[in-house]
Amino acid sequence: MTESKQSHTAIIQRSLARRYRAEKRFRAYGLMAITFGLLCVALLFTDIISKGYKAFLQTSIQLNITYDADVLGISDLNNKQQVALADFQGLVKKSLQARFPDVTGRKEKRDLVSLVSSGAGYDLRDRLIANPQLLGNTETLWLSADDDIDTYYKSMGDENGAFTGRTSEMRQGWIETLKQDGDIKLGLNRVFFTHGDSREPEQAGIWGAAMGSLFTLIITLSLSFPIGVAAAVYLEEFAPRNRWTDLIEVNINNLAAVPSIIFGLLGLAIFINFFHVPRSVPLVGGLVLTLMTLPTIIISSRASIKAVPPSIREAAIGVGASPMQVVLHHVLPLAMPGMLTGAIIGMAQALGETAPLLMIGMVAFIVDIPGGFTEPATVLPVQIFLWADSPERAFVEKTSAAIMVLLAFLIMMNTLAVVLRKRLERRW
Amino acid sequence: MVNKLVTDTAEMLEEKTASRKAVVHSTAYPEQAIGSPFVKNPKMSMRNVDVFYGEKQAIFNVNVDIGQNEVIAMIGPSGCGKSTFLRSINRMNDTVDSCRVKGELTLDGEDIYSAKMDPVALRARVGMVFQKPNPFPKSIYDNVSYGPRLHGLASRRAELDEIVEMSLHRAGLWEEVKDRLDQPGTGLSGGQQQRLCIARAIAISPEVILMDEPCSALDPIATAKIEELIAELSENYTIAIVTHSMQQAARVSHRTAYFHLGHLVEVNDTEKVFTAPEHELTEAYITGRFG
Amino acid sequence: MDKLNLDQHISRQFNEDLEEIKTSMLEMGGLVEMQVGDAIRALEDADSGLAEKVIEVESRIDEMEMDIDETCTTLIARRQPAASDLRLVTAVSKAIRDLERIGDEAQKIAKMAIHLAEEGVAPRGYTEVRHIGNCVRKMLNDSLDAFSRFDAEAAIATMKDDRQVDMDYKSALREMITYMMEDPRSISRSMNILWALRSLERIGDHAKNICEHVVYLVQGRDIRHRKLDGDS
Repeated sequence: MTESKQSHTAIIQRSLARRYRAEKRFRAYGLMAITFGLLCVALLFTDIISKGYKAFLQTSIQLNITYDADVLGISDLNNKQQVALADFQGLVKKSLQARFPDVTGRKEKRDLVSLVSSGAGYDLRDRLIANPQLLGNTETLWLSADDDIDTYYKSMGDENGAFTGRTSEMRQGWIETLKQDGDIKLGLNRVFFTHGDSREPEQAGIWGAAMGSLFTLIITLSLSFPIGVAAAVYLEEFAPRNRWTDLIEVNINNLAAVPSIIFGLLGLAIFINFFHVPRSVPLVGGLVLTLMTLPTIIISSRASIKAVPPSIREAAIGVGASPMQVVLHHVLPLAMPGMLTGAIIGMAQALGETAPLLMIGMVAFIVDIPGGFTEPATVLPVQIFLWADSPERAFVEKTSAAIMVLLAFLIMMNTLAVVLRKRLERRW
Repeated sequence: MVNKLVTDTAEMLEEKTASRKAVVHSTAYPEQAIGSPFVKNPKMSMRNVDVFYGEKQAIFNVNVDIGQNEVIAMIGPSGCGKSTFLRSINRMNDTVDSCRVKGELTLDGEDIYSAKMDPVALRARVGMVFQKPNPFPKSIYDNVSYGPRLHGLASRRAELDEIVEMSLHRAGLWEEVKDRLDQPGTGLSGGQQQRLCIARAIAISPEVILMDEPCSALDPIATAKIEELIAELSENYTIAIVTHSMQQAARVSHRTAYFHLGHLVEVNDTEKVFTAPEHELTEAYITGRFG
Repeated sequence: MDKLNLDQHISRQFNEDLEEIKTSMLEMGGLVEMQVGDAIRALEDADSGLAEKVIEVESRIDEMEMDIDETCTTLIARRQPAASDLRLVTAVSKAIRDLERIGDEAQKIAKMAIHLAEEGVAPRGYTEVRHIGNCVRKMLNDSLDAFSRFDAEAAIATMKDDRQVDMDYKSALREMITYMMEDPRSISRSMNILWALRSLERIGDHAKNICEHVVYLVQGRDIRHRKLDGDS
């Protein structure tokens, strides 16, 4: 008896050691997986941030601008046509020539003018319209530098030497002069946060795409959440269990796995070709993304309705609540945190979606910032895609910066999800 | 006079002796529940009740009465249909799609399953307490006032307060919670939660209270309190209780019904069932022989 | 015939516990039967040695009663028996009380036997004692037999014998009174025999009680203080 007992203990001891080793190995695998994941994320982030942070800065050049009525060819500021045709770029040219009087020759002169962004003229026009008394007067201004200059100036401190690609030695000399005079500086890039897209990197901003995303998501949320919750409540609480509801259930589950571009084709066929909703607008984008997120929201809502303890339902029925009262008073409040989380996950998915939007013309080059649901717009991921496709070197950093903005957007939404969950969650 | 008394007593004895049928020794189900399933002036009566879940029959031809202000206990092995039967009484089974109830169930002579009987109105008259304490994740006050508010039993806040206080008093919980009515009902102990559920059930002044294993999740002291409460409640309410604890049935009930695999085998006065049951299946169950 | 199926509980220990109290009770019954037999024999044969032995054994019966009683209490506390189990435990615990009383009566008879042996053999009254003693012994034997077989019919039949014992006792009483009137010197001896007869009659009553317990145990009805079925 004691002998067999002892041998048992020995066997158990041996197997214990083996089990503990297996456990340790298992934990090590997990740790390795997490480390790998974290490394990847860290790599991604360092890459994006190191590339992108410079996009938030912009090189600008200080110039004395004289609003010469002759150069502009404006006699009356109220004459819209005159203002529209006025040669504001000429003011910049003049000012630069005054700054570097020894530059001659057509080519050199052209190079000199292109130190400053080709969009500078529009800025000057806007200033003049805002302050008409400037006409005929002179002021000192910081104007955005051209993207080549910007890229060169930002890379001047780099270990590998400055990036001189499209900046000739002559221009480098001018920049040196400006630098010595303190007339060139690196400042916060306001344009990036306030402008729409542009062919000129220094004029390109994210705001248009952000607003486009916002409008699209508002449409998506306000359609998919109520529809999704209503569908989930009906299917969970009221629908009879039969072949039809089974079929609907299978279809919903399948829809969640359908490639998103299919939804784009569907949107194109239904909303644009059939209902004649204008192309490229947040309204149609929102509708398409609604179709795409509905299955996700229905599935997560159903899951959270299912998670409401049946005992609570029984209790409510037991004191004589009608089926609708049971749902409104008990099931929905208890399922709400889960539903919201599902909705926000669906929204995040919609926010990052490009493929279906390709089909409905939201991959357009749109300079204006959309002001409503029916104005042409693009969205953040599409903007990233467009910039990543652009040849100018300055767009590389813009792409990374746009990714950072998109990530910030996502983090904000997820934080909102967590906060809502915490606030609405109840113990039972 | 004295003579008459003597003959009366003799007759009574004779009658009693005669009414004692031979103990049934067949393990077959009786056609009719043996013992005394029927009472005079019943509060509820069930006749020829069959319950089906889809194709499967869960209750077979049950005939039984529940008397006014009576506590009737339903016992039987797991899966014998006692809970199913209890849930047919206030149409809780309506929520199960596949469940069908046949037969005649009446409350004060009104047919429970007739088209005229609204299930919501019925449940206001036949309250229910469940196996697991299931207070709403709301305050104690809201838990108790939920039913009265649903049915519009109180028009003013003061009336509602009164109903809440009275219900908690009756459930023996008032002294323990009167200072924290605004705290969540889920924060109470298991026994308190179950008494809160009873308070919630009696807040709508039902006529009948159904209890589905109300103490199976509670410790002996909490159980004793609930049992005490059942005894007090039986003064005002008619109570049907399903229990797995035979001792509990023996302690709280006036009559006991024994179910076996969907058949009502025996209904008798509780003391009779626990000292000298008439049917062998009842005997086997309460003495703990096979299942 | 009623079955009690004592051996079909889910808990085997419970089967054994119930079996144990029943067996010990019957064991005690056997001992008591022997006591009654010995006491009657001691009286008839004026065997004071045998009578002394009966008095000695009495204490063992008391011990057994206490033992079984305690086992019953423990069983009730631990198993909460119900229905037939409950009836068995109550029947046993009542029956042992009756058996213990029978033991006491046997002891009394033995004491009388010692007195009578001291006074010398008296020819009168012994026939009655023998007759009633035989009846009572048979009753006791039958009642214990009915108990061991859970036989309610036999128990009821045995109970009817008690009436015979009562009648015999009454006639013996009258006879003894006649003796005493005939020969006043025999009064003290006749009194001793009377006491013994009375004890025997009591033993019959207790045996009848045991039969009542058997009926309660088997049929679940209490027939005490009630006319028997078929009584006219």
